[in-house]
Amino acid sequence: MARTTKLSLTEWDTLHNNGPWELKTLYKTKLEASSLMPSELDRYNDAAQEIQKLIKETQNQNEGFRAYGSAWSLSHVAHQKDRMHFNAHMNTYFSFKDQDLHSNSNYKAENLFLFQCGNIIKEISEKLEGHGKALKTTGASNGQTIAGCISTGVHGSAIKVGSVQDYVVGLNLIIGPNPGDIVYLEPHTKPALNDVFAQKMRSRVIRNDGLFNAALVGLGSFGFIHGVVIEARNLFLLKRYVRKIKKKKALELANTLNFDSFTDIPEEVENGKGRSPYHYKIFINQYREDKDSDYVVEFIYMHDYKTSYPDPFPVIKKSVYRDLIRLAVNFGSTVTFTIPLFINALKNSILPAVNEVSTGTLAETFWDAPYQGPAFAISFGVSADKSSEALKILSKVSIDKGPVPGIFAMRFIKKSKATLSFARWDKTCMIEIDGVLWNEKKNLGTLNGLSREMMKALHQNGIEFTMHWGKNADWSFVDANWNKPSLSDFMYGDDAKTWREYRTALLSPEMQKLFTNRFIKECGLDKAEPVADPAALIASLI
Amino acid sequence: MQFKRYLLPVLLLLFIVILLLNSCYSVRLRSVEGAYEPAAPLVRDDYYRNMEVIELDTVITIGPVHKDFTYLIRKTDKCPSGKLHTVEYRNTLGAVLLSGITFGRKRKVKIKYVCMKSN
Repeated sequence: MARTTKLSLTEWDTLHNNGPWELKTLYKTKLEASSLMPSELDRYNDAAQEIQKLIKETQNQNEGFRAYGSAWSLSHVAHQKDRMHFNAHMNTYFSFKDQDLHSNSNYKAENLFLFQCGNIIKEISEKLEGHGKALKTTGASNGQTIAGCISTGVHGSAIKVGSVQDYVVGLNLIIGPNPGDIVYLEPHTKPALNDVFAQKMRSRVIRNDGLFNAALVGLGSFGFIHGVVIEARNLFLLKRYVRKIKKKKALELANTLNFDSFTDIPEEVENGKGRSPYHYKIFINQYREDKDSDYVVEFIYMHDYKTSYPDPFPVIKKSVYRDLIRLAVNFGSTVTFTIPLFINALKNSILPAVNEVSTGTLAETFWDAPYQGPAFAISFGVSADKSSEALKILSKVSIDKGPVPGIFAMRFIKKSKATLSFARWDKTCMIEIDGVLWNEKKNLGTLNGLSREMMKALHQNGIEFTMHWGKNADWSFVDANWNKPSLSDFMYGDDAKTWREYRTALLSPEMQKLFTNRFIKECGLDKAEPVADPAALIASLI
Repeated sequence: MQFKRYLLPVLLLLFIVILLLNSCYSVRLRSVEGAYEPAAPLVRDDYYRNMEVIELDTVITIGPVHKDFTYLIRKTDKCPSGKLHTVEYRNTLGAVLLSGITFGRKRKVKIKYVCMKSN
């Protein structure tokens, strides 16, 4: 049997020290030893039973329950004041054969894998490499669990790929303590696995595009994500170039994402036109806007995989004194004019080295990010064609209302099919300011206050926006002239209602309450939405 | 009076000796491959914040005929894989002196290590 350790705690915090927040109980579940239970499927199903037992225990106490993996999110999306479940040790996986596929499936069996919730991106990449496969994209690092990634919409800057949830083809959810409460969701227009495999997972199959898309970015509130079926691709190499280019050119590329005219990297020019990069990122030091004529920009191009290429890792990795940074930011919280000086002094440690070139797989390129002390990030999604305008507005707010101990970056992703994905535009630009958490009791104002000013400024300038669920913001904020009941209704319009409808239809009222936390209450996503025929809404359509 | 005259220099000397004995540096080795054993809840505020780190601070005594020793890593609750992901050892002047004055019989071991996550 899977073993769960139960700890009585008083508080819980994120990796980046964005809490602490109160917590009563922490569960930690480990799978049964493979020496005692050799079948991976048995271990997987055994773990599902264990989770159902914990859900029942929580329900009996009339408390809330929430799973988390790496505590990577900077917002309180993963936090629950009653009971939290650490699932990073639930990390088995399955590959598939043709006989496991649905008769309407267009997938290749060799590309499909089911990963249990607690697999982190790094171990998934290593497991896939053993099959000659790779993930299509990841975030900028590799420590998040797969369930955490899709729940919050983790993204990189893969222009034509999108976010992590965009290569998910099936979801295995535990939505209650009873035998019929394990469901396997797929889109009905693009089924992947057949009913036989779902039955092996003791799951009820629901093939329904609307339900699947709503559950994809579920914010931890659509039940317990036990397994995630993904479509991988053949291994590929990425060649990364760091360049300084004229601001005007960098922003033109950002607005259009058309790289035909960018021929500064001769190796990546074909037939006289610049190749379209796999990844494009601009770093912006807002405190040097008037002084510098260039931006540091990262271009990454996709190439065929081969076994011999230069080692992308340095022999030694050095890190800056964290105490020194903390001291400087603490000082800057009082003597605020020193913040820009501090950022400029640290620019060589913050920004990648110009003219750096490296080659590696996706997993090697977006490798481990060590803990660097208390951190914050505010991240907005906007349409790419508005990216330069939005950057100007947000930079101004960060200077006028700050200064803030952080710098901006812009990354780009294609539109996601997930109902609550912040990648809502065909070409979405994620503009993010991230840096070191400061002492809010002194002269720099509050992080929530900064996020409110940024939201208001974008709205006043007529720029539609979304916000990254896993980053910092005042999630309870609604401006008086928005005429919306909540921030999620403002950002997502009818899609927020649609998401609530599917959640209401899938989860019993008791389970809706159990899987609710302060975060989704603040966002206005906890409420039950009246649904005329819930069974029809979530019916399996093939 | 004589005592008071020497008190300050003696204290200063003592302070320097303590400082020297504790003066130290660490060296960390980390595998490029593999995921580390994760920690929950997160209580540390250092490099190992999200890792299940095991700290060893002891003195190993070996016999006069023994050249060296090997510390074996076993499977435990904190190290379910029994395989190493990161090792950090710390060297101090005190540890070097201890080994020197005991002719290598007593060896100070101050190590932090993190295991690979188990499958």
